[in-house]
Amino acid sequence: MSAQDPHVGSRPAPSWDVRRFTPSWRWLTEAMWWVEHAFGRARADARPEEDTRVRIFVILSVFSAAFVCLTLGAVHAALLTAGAGAGADSHPNAVVRADLVDRNGALLATNIVHYGLYIDPAQVWDRRAAAAQIRRVLPRVSRTRLQTALYGDRRLLVVNRLTPREKVAVHNLALGGISFEPEDVRVHPLGESARHVIGNVDTGGVGLSAAERAFNDEIRAAGARGESFQISIDLRVQGVLENELAAAATATGAIGAVGIITDVQTGEVLGMASWPASNSRNLATAATYEMGSVFKTFTVAAAIDTGRADMTTLLDASEALQIGSRRITDFHAQNKVMTLEEVYLHSSNIGTSRLSTEMGPRVMRDYFERFGMMSRAPFEIPSEAPILPGEWSDSTLASLSFGYGISITPMQMAAAMGALTNGGRFIPLTLRKGGRPDERGRQIVSPGTSLTMLDLMRRNVVRGSGGRAEAPGLRVGGKTGSANKSVNGRYNTAHAVGTFAGVFPADGPVDARRYQILVLIDEPQTYPRTGGFVAAPAVGRIADRIAGFLGVARKADPYRTALGDRIPAFEDLEGDGR
Amino acid sequence: MNTAVANLNRLFAWKIRGIRWIEIIGVLLVAVMVFSVYLAKAGAAREGARISDLERQISDNGQRVRLLRAEVARLEQPSRLEALSRGAGLVPVDVHRQAKVENLPTLAPIPEPAPVVIATPPVPAAPAPEVER
Repeated sequence: MSAQDPHVGSRPAPSWDVRRFTPSWRWLTEAMWWVEHAFGRARADARPEEDTRVRIFVILSVFSAAFVCLTLGAVHAALLTAGAGAGADSHPNAVVRADLVDRNGALLATNIVHYGLYIDPAQVWDRRAAAAQIRRVLPRVSRTRLQTALYGDRRLLVVNRLTPREKVAVHNLALGGISFEPEDVRVHPLGESARHVIGNVDTGGVGLSAAERAFNDEIRAAGARGESFQISIDLRVQGVLENELAAAATATGAIGAVGIITDVQTGEVLGMASWPASNSRNLATAATYEMGSVFKTFTVAAAIDTGRADMTTLLDASEALQIGSRRITDFHAQNKVMTLEEVYLHSSNIGTSRLSTEMGPRVMRDYFERFGMMSRAPFEIPSEAPILPGEWSDSTLASLSFGYGISITPMQMAAAMGALTNGGRFIPLTLRKGGRPDERGRQIVSPGTSLTMLDLMRRNVVRGSGGRAEAPGLRVGGKTGSANKSVNGRYNTAHAVGTFAGVFPADGPVDARRYQILVLIDEPQTYPRTGGFVAAPAVGRIADRIAGFLGVARKADPYRTALGDRIPAFEDLEGDGR
Repeated sequence: MNTAVANLNRLFAWKIRGIRWIEIIGVLLVAVMVFSVYLAKAGAAREGARISDLERQISDNGQRVRLLRAEVARLEQPSRLEALSRGAGLVPVDVHRQAKVENLPTLAPIPEPAPVVIATPPVPAAPAPEVER
């Protein structure tokens, strides 16, 4: 159409009547015709030339704007869009779940592509031969399932989770009608090692237990990035712990055993083992025990922290302590007045009972709460709740002071011992490498109390009940615990629990690198059944073997040389204190 | 001023065989652009295919690495290593037999076994000292 079309002004009106339409359509139609007649109106106003220019200009502008938009869009798509180009938008090594690795990168769990074996019976030439050959290379395939697939009328899954090696074996049979479909399978190459720490995953790739469950979202996110996910476990430490725990449990004929190794400054769990490993129940978190004399550590710590006692405080253990009708005696009775140190070293029930009744229920309860004894251990793996005393009478306080009347999980004990040996900060244990972010710890006893307890624990190994936990030059400290288990409501001496809660190195400042080792042997059958005989030797051997991995050097301390030889006690021969 | 505008207009209106030279140049430029875009797209497609291929290779190799790592982890299970080393008669090294590198010079040498004297029949003349060089 030419802009100077002379007939425009006399163009016939639309052949349809706009009034027939609904108001909105009518408005639109009128607007369209108004635009269409604009040129005619302009000519009527004697401004045809100017109007043509405006029209051209408007059309030019619209097209220019459209092309500018297209250009900008093209430039944006070419230069600024992230992940543009031919490459995939996901990481080439992305997996559903990241590899779970220990703190040094050693593999704990990984995803391996396995294969589902499918058979399409229509393409199988000789069904009988095919069945025989498949069963020869794949003995685990179910005979009925194979028959169903071979004699069926459509393609069927015969068996899944074929390993790459099995797949190659079946593939090499060169049978018709056989196909494979990849499937991602979580593999735990360590078998039963660390199984209680790693946990399980369902077929959909969702963590069901332990670290796989606790860090499920983070493991999946790391997998999408093609990265590994580290946890705090040190596989070397874990291996030593498992081996020594199994050796100790086997040697003592125990029904169960627990070992936990933690870094007391960060709360990281470096090793956690529950024996027997074939038992899916993790005794470290899912079982509670009355741990016996290990609790004397907390009673003595509370007494020192409240200022009621110091190392030289004298406590009368010359005769049994009578509380109501109950008579409290000592296992290794010394029948004398003892200092606090002697009470701890000789593991005197009388001495700690006196301390606890003197402190009273309010203080004892307060300190038990501070040590985390009264509630579930805050840990990534959900743990059992402790069994607490129903009332806090003097008799109960006496029992609590030497570890009866309260059942706690080994995790609670490990966390409490860590708090007592790191300067008094309660740091929840964690499987997260580097410790929990933003966790500064809660001050529960003074650093001075912590130092005193470290010294006491060291002395207990040097000349107390924990002597068998000594490891040359590693300054091991700790406390033994021995308790009879309650069977049908009565404490039975044939069913015992032997514990040793150790720490090394026990010397140095409160914030020095330090590791806690807890070993608990459940129902040892060898005699004596006390923690000093069944658990302490394992702690000593574990410390001896893991010190190198943890970078703890052998050094002398005031009691032993770096090679573990005795240093003669300082004797003030001239009596002038020099 | 007017002369310059007139010159420009003449230049603009200059035709070769009835076609404005500016249009010819425009068409040529468009042709060059079309061809270069084609080249760029073809190159990008080639690179894209190569990247996809490399990524597939990375993915395949990643799978093999995972498989090998899993195999290594299986073979290095702590309990397996312990059983193997105990079976081979290996035990943790006693503390008295451990030393740091800096202590090496101070260590007493292992006493050498006394030289075994082998009685040989006397050789009357041995004038061949070449071996002593």
